[in-house]
Amino acid sequence: MTDSPASAEVQPPVQETRSGEASSGRSSSAGDTVFRAAVLVCGVSVLLLLGGIILVMMAGSVKAFSTFGFAFLSSSAWNPVTQHYGALAPVVGTLLTSLIGLVIAVPLAFGTAFWLTQLASSRIAGVVGMTVQLLAAVPSIIFGMWGFSLIVPFIARYVQPALLHSVGGVPVIGALVKGGFYGTGIMTGGIILAIMVTPFVTAVMRDVFISAPPVLKESAFGLGATRWEVMRHVILPWSRQAVIGSVVLGMGRAMGETMAVTFVIGNASRLSWSLFAPGNTIASLIALEFPESPAGSLKLSALMALGTILMVLSFLALCASRFLTGARPVARRK
Amino acid sequence: MTASPALSGLPGGLSLPQNETHRPMISVRNLDFYYGEHKALRNISLNFPERCVTGMIGPSGCGKSTLLRVLNRMYDLYPGQRATGEVLFDDRNVISPDIDLNRLRARIGMVFQKPTPFPMSIYDNIAFGVKLHETLSRSEMNDRVEDVLRRVALWNEVKDRLHASATAMSGGQQQRLCIARTIATKPEVILLDEPTSALDPVSTARIEELLDELKKEFTIAIVTHNMQQAARCADQVAFFYLGELVEVDSTDVIFTAPREARTQDYITGRFG
Amino acid sequence: MSGAGSSPGGGVRPDVARPEGVRDRWKTPGGLAFRRQFTDRLASGFSYAATTVSVLALASIVWTLLSRGLPGLTLLTFTHMTASPGQEGGLANAIAGSLFQTAAAIALGAPLGLMCGIYLADYGQGKLASTVRFVSDMLLSAPSILIGLFVYQTIVAPIGHFSGFAGAIALAILALPIVVRTTEDMLRLVPVSMREAGIALGASKWRVILFICLRAAKTGVMTGILLAVARVAGETAPLLFTSLGNSGWSFSPAEPMASLPVTIYQYAGSAFTDWAQMAWTGALLITLGVLAINILVRTGFGRNGT
Repeated sequence: MTDSPASAEVQPPVQETRSGEASSGRSSSAGDTVFRAAVLVCGVSVLLLLGGIILVMMAGSVKAFSTFGFAFLSSSAWNPVTQHYGALAPVVGTLLTSLIGLVIAVPLAFGTAFWLTQLASSRIAGVVGMTVQLLAAVPSIIFGMWGFSLIVPFIARYVQPALLHSVGGVPVIGALVKGGFYGTGIMTGGIILAIMVTPFVTAVMRDVFISAPPVLKESAFGLGATRWEVMRHVILPWSRQAVIGSVVLGMGRAMGETMAVTFVIGNASRLSWSLFAPGNTIASLIALEFPESPAGSLKLSALMALGTILMVLSFLALCASRFLTGARPVARRK
Repeated sequence: MTASPALSGLPGGLSLPQNETHRPMISVRNLDFYYGEHKALRNISLNFPERCVTGMIGPSGCGKSTLLRVLNRMYDLYPGQRATGEVLFDDRNVISPDIDLNRLRARIGMVFQKPTPFPMSIYDNIAFGVKLHETLSRSEMNDRVEDVLRRVALWNEVKDRLHASATAMSGGQQQRLCIARTIATKPEVILLDEPTSALDPVSTARIEELLDELKKEFTIAIVTHNMQQAARCADQVAFFYLGELVEVDSTDVIFTAPREARTQDYITGRFG
Repeated sequence: MSGAGSSPGGGVRPDVARPEGVRDRWKTPGGLAFRRQFTDRLASGFSYAATTVSVLALASIVWTLLSRGLPGLTLLTFTHMTASPGQEGGLANAIAGSLFQTAAAIALGAPLGLMCGIYLADYGQGKLASTVRFVSDMLLSAPSILIGLFVYQTIVAPIGHFSGFAGAIALAILALPIVVRTTEDMLRLVPVSMREAGIALGASKWRVILFICLRAAKTGVMTGILLAVARVAGETAPLLFTSLGNSGWSFSPAEPMASLPVTIYQYAGSAFTDWAQMAWTGALLITLGVLAINILVRTGFGRNGT
């Protein structure tokens, strides 16, 4: 990251300053030393902060892991009465909702980015692009309320009954749509996540598509390719890695979402084959169960252990997306 | 327009090889071009004789590349750019809105200043364009790829790594691949926008040799900054200045006895 | 233009024999052209639809908020504090709590983030800097609920009670990486020539950074801080574990403190219609605030910046 062109530009003034220090006397040199130390301390404090978070999360989850051992990961129990806790149901719920979210969000984001970069005139693309980005700014809890009052009834009244009616008899698919018409559940959580994640993935894809060299596009058009063919055969292969990176980044975001999912997930810590059955995600379970978990209790430790798993999952997603997209551009020039 | 006497003299006014008659393949008439408010081309009239190389010269910003981008409607990609007038090609006005752009660009191919290999294998770079316009069997496609690579003298260099990435080739090879890619779609006209400006002298010479071969089959328009290149490759040379076509004539005339003082000044290096 | 003018057909059209050629070269043979055009139309149609979905989602959210939140928006909302069902209540204490916690979070997080951004932009060369940059990005993408748990374990649990101050710290941790990133990006956009000019005047490096570079990057840095405000103002999850909420006024940051998002969360599922109404009104307020900041930043404000 440090050998990017931008930091190379910064280098000369660093050296210039040294000679400047010598000429302008002791006081400024002392000022520079103090300032340098101050910003260094601030930089290092960020490292300490993350280190602290990791340590605290792990220390908090020791009790749960030592009580349940490996069974914590493989058990789907969540019983405060018998004090049996397992992570399987919320972990599966987290992965499943995020996956559903991405399956919906990626085509939406790709379509939007295609429209914004290739089809729309630049003025309209500016306005629409900003609208899409505003969607990303809406607080998570608002998505939850909106989803609960609009999407949940829609799923309960129309989507699930229709699916049950049409494919309910098909062996495997039938099981996926079974159950009461609650409207809440894994599928609804996934749909809400899709709408929340779409603007993030769109933003990355748009930036990547825009940065495709114009000559490359022109030579494809020069062969008589349509806009779609240019996208599909030239721009997409050119930006494949970054696009996958953006998808993984969206995955990371979806897994950590709390409030929106909490409203629509149905809060049931059990595994079910049906995508329309109430479920839980790690984040929503923590949010919902935390008020009844006193400090020092085994239950709180189990929640911390869930938090640790979530932390690992989201860090893995970030690392994977960073690996795929390469170092983020340190500065974007307009 | 000072150019019109020369135009009406076409093709007879040209001393072209083999005494063939060269009908105009593309005929530009009274073309104006605008970048937004700015008028970049003024009342251009120019014929591109078939199976001839038309060289377009002039200082930077004179409109020669712009004219090239009008011929295959490349300017359509950008809002605010528009052309008025006529560009006749095969009975149709190229700049009228009802033209099928994809078909037009298949018939009028273009090679750019910098080599632009697509991010795919050498083979697929060529097959990509062909597949857009023709449905070929696998063996037909193999033959087509081999044929065009031979014609740009690239076959022996790459026949063992057809499925390697095209971006790993040298600049000169990439540019020849781009020419191969263009002729693989069987165009009638090839537009070249300073195709050698990013290449070393040896690669440049190979491209120039290639042009001599290609003009037996294709009509070629080439924009160049290099006066020697225009003199070596072109049968007809058009000199542009500040958005106007100053003079067009056979290469010999332009370089030995131009009618316009501005042409004389430019080719002798007094400006530009 | 004798040849072309006399007979439009013969003049321009070449009489080249093209053995494989189709009579009308303007048409692609077979169904290929149709198929290609169809695919292109299909893809374009899909991309229009996809864009519409995103835009409609935002429109639907704003419409839902307006239609359900506006009826409850009165002067009382701003003057009265939250009350029991059936009584006349407002959101005054929640609004005040949100303002305090957001302001405190920015007061804590922004200077730290600013300094950290300066470190990365002007001193960050080696491995340490790239680690700091990566870790800052990790914090940026860390689930906010984890930050809540962390602050609960380190501040709330040892002290023994929830507090507005703990809430502010949690929000500060969320604001920090946003400020770090924009500060670094904006400082890097300051032209080298401007730094050199400062140094040529004999100014020391820290003065050049603080008084020239930072001033030049002022708009961009402010943008980052405003975006951080917009981000943390709507955060709910971390506050559940830290400031908890308070049905009355909090006169000390050491006490549990109400906030708009947490109040919305508590009231949203309520069976009492006046509480549910209050939740929608609060949701409307916070969303309008957040969107207003974003629109401000993305239109007029950002334009005269870099």
